Amino acid sequence: MILGRVIGHVWAARRDARLQRAKLLVIRPHAIYEPAFPTRHLVATDDVDAGVGDDVIVCLGAPARASLGSNDMPVDAAVLGVVDRVEWRADAMQAAGAAPGIKRALPALDAVSK
Amino acid sequence: MIRGTVIGQVWATRKARGLDGQTLLLVAACDAEGRATGRLVVASDTLDARAGEDVTVAFGSGARNVLRPGAADNRDVLCDAAIAAIVEGAG
Repeated sequence: MILGRVIGHVWAARRDARLQRAKLLVIRPHAIYEPAFPTRHLVATDDVDAGVGDDVIVCLGAPARASLGSNDMPVDAAVLGVVDRVEWRADAMQAAGAAPGIKRALPALDAVSK
Repeated sequence: MIRGTVIGQVWATRKARGLDGQTLLLVAACDAEGRATGRLVVASDTLDARAGEDVTVAFGSGARNVLRPGAADNRDVLCDAAIAAIVEGAG
């Protein structure tokens, strides 16, 4: 799973029949998540009613399809939860090598934990 | 699988039913030498890993096998990353 923030919606009138009821969100991953392409975003289906500005847990691959109740959904990312608290230890992060990428991104997480 | 260091935990009240009961930890992914790469992954934890501990994270069906062994019947487990081991040493 990855942690990200909802930054928008995608609408589509013409879409796969299995996606007719799906809500599609645009997600910006926290820290440096690197998808196959350097897009800095991903589009995920949402069954938990997340809104713009929410921090969410996004599941990738087969479990994303399973969360929609069927293994043949044309989907590879799904929002599974709306985050209400993140707790992280700065010292553990330093022990992990104090990656500058994490340090930049985590203030956004800090705001969530308040 | 990859190596990583647990740096924290994530809580979500509003979530898919399949996520109930899973402990979700924030793991900073490491490179081959154990240095942080700046990437974060949220991994399900069954081994009671604590912040600061080095772990290995399994992805895909390997992650589902951590939560529910038996590849044939765990396609419905909502997990794509899970802590498979707590690392005590590496050479």
